Amino acid sequence: MANANPPVLVAQGIGHLGRNFLREVGSMFWFIVNTFEETFERIQHGRVPFRAASFFRHTQRAGVDSVPLVGLVSFFLGLTMALLTGYQLQRFGTQRLIPGLVAIGFTRELGPLITGIMLAARIGAAFTAELGTMQVSEEVEAIEAMGIGPLRFLVAPRMLALFLLMPCLSTVSNIAAIGASSLICKAYFSIAFPYFLDLVKDSLLIRDIITGILKSFLFGLLIAAIACYRGLTVKGGAAGVGTSTTSSVVTAITTVIGFDTLYNVVYTTFYPT
Amino acid sequence: MTTPTHMVELRDVYMQFEEKKVLDGFSLKVEPEERLVIMGQTGSGKSTILRLILGTLRPTSGSVFFKQFEITRLQRRKLQQVRRHIGMVYQYSSLLSSRTVRDNVALPLEELTDKSRDEIDKIVDEKLDLVGMKDSKDLLPEELSGGMKKRVALARALVLEPELILLDEPSAGLDPVIASVIDELIISLSEKSKVTSITVTHEMDSAFRIATRMGMLYQGKIIEEAEPEKFKQSKNPVVAQFLSGSTEGPILEGSLDAITKK
Ligand SMILES: Nc1ncnc2c1ncn2[C@@H]1O[C@H](COP(=O)(O)OP(=O)(O)OP(=O)(O)O)[C@@H](O)[C@H]1O
Ligand SMILES: [Mg+2]
Repeated sequence: MANANPPVLVAQGIGHLGRNFLREVGSMFWFIVNTFEETFERIQHGRVPFRAASFFRHTQRAGVDSVPLVGLVSFFLGLTMALLTGYQLQRFGTQRLIPGLVAIGFTRELGPLITGIMLAARIGAAFTAELGTMQVSEEVEAIEAMGIGPLRFLVAPRMLALFLLMPCLSTVSNIAAIGASSLICKAYFSIAFPYFLDLVKDSLLIRDIITGILKSFLFGLLIAAIACYRGLTVKGGAAGVGTSTTSSVVTAITTVIGFDTLYNVVYTTFYPT
Repeated sequence: MTTPTHMVELRDVYMQFEEKKVLDGFSLKVEPEERLVIMGQTGSGKSTILRLILGTLRPTSGSVFFKQFEITRLQRRKLQQVRRHIGMVYQYSSLLSSRTVRDNVALPLEELTDKSRDEIDKIVDEKLDLVGMKDSKDLLPEELSGGMKKRVALARALVLEPELILLDEPSAGLDPVIASVIDELIISLSEKSKVTSITVTHEMDSAFRIATRMGMLYQGKIIEEAEPEKFKQSKNPVVAQFLSGSTEGPILEGSLDAITKK
């Protein structure tokens, strides 16, 4: 080992990273599978997997409380996008393309993506910190020791909440952005509201909307799974909770962007137009 | 396979954390309705033993039985069912910090039984009353003292009427009066409700009051095991030193030299 030459060491390092990465992906996958399994086992026994109150607490926190942030950021992005593209398109006299551009751009792509990134930071971090603290203070172990499945009890309601709320928040994001671009269109490019709506309706395909919604479901599930997984695998006390929270946000954002790209590649291969 | 009829049996258990060997061929049998007290130095692996019985830790090798179930081989689902018959009081209580005392104690009932809210409230009141914590029902764990948390944890462990109860230093941090109340409770549980208990404690008075049998854990094994009266008279130098709390003897031999040299 000691006299290994640099290329070998580099290859070794890459091998290590690759192995760790695959191991992480594997455990994350099994984490999701086990959560489903524990939850469905419980449903098979004819019992609710978790309390409605616990689910609604998470939907409130993750969903309703995120509306202002998602709405505001998307609104500003909508303004910027309409302005920037508008001035370019104006040079060719095609500013009536702005509504369609913003509408398609957001429903298909930016809405879910921006919402995903914001939720990963806002809610993913909260989930990781909360579960991580419970892990460190032996609360998770105590739950397990009572015979309660921690995945079913702690993870399932969070996953379901984010899974169901992500599409709703993406929709909020889309509406905010399209609304913002309509303001710009009226103020700078003299496109009145009714005409704006017609243009949006003409350009938007059902397919774009469905794509956006499906993506949102996927992102919601991924963010929740990553955040909870990172939380329950915290090691090393308070510092560990900090490290895991950072890593949860970074992993979730990277995964969301990665899956978005993957989704687009697959999508354009199957539906080339 | 031989099916043991003991309440708990650990058979030739080895437990190693990375480099550190904690249990080294540890064996133990606990009979129904017994009140076993395990003593041992700090860091000797007492809490580890309780975790092995619950199955929240897996031994490096060896097997752990609870009644006819081999904990070390059970699948998750079966393990969860078995755990409902075991109550555990953690050394640091491990209450859920975002739930009130009432919700903490009610949790196992809410999650694992089909009882109605009224029934649950009644049981919670009764168990909290047993440990003298009825007045703190609506407080959060952070508003309780260490000893109060311990008592709530005990109430939580009793709420499913377990057959076996594991207590990790139940009277540490309690004043002598409350400590006696808890001791009485543990004794009456086994006498009235036929609950078996395994208690880890450093408090000698409490240990001798509770125990029907005592065991001394030293260097990863039970080195002495006897009824309290016999245990007190043990010839084993480790036990004798531990009971008297003297600095002369085999415990701490090396480190004590280091201190006296300074
Ligand atoms: N999760 C763990 N990882 C690594 N080492 C551990 C872990 N849990 C316990 N240990 C080690 O195992 C040994 C036994 O720990 P344990 O908590 O069982 O001791 P104990 O007898 O309960 O001590 P105390 O009386 O202080 O509570 C300790 O030396 C500890 O360092
Ligand atoms: Mg301990």
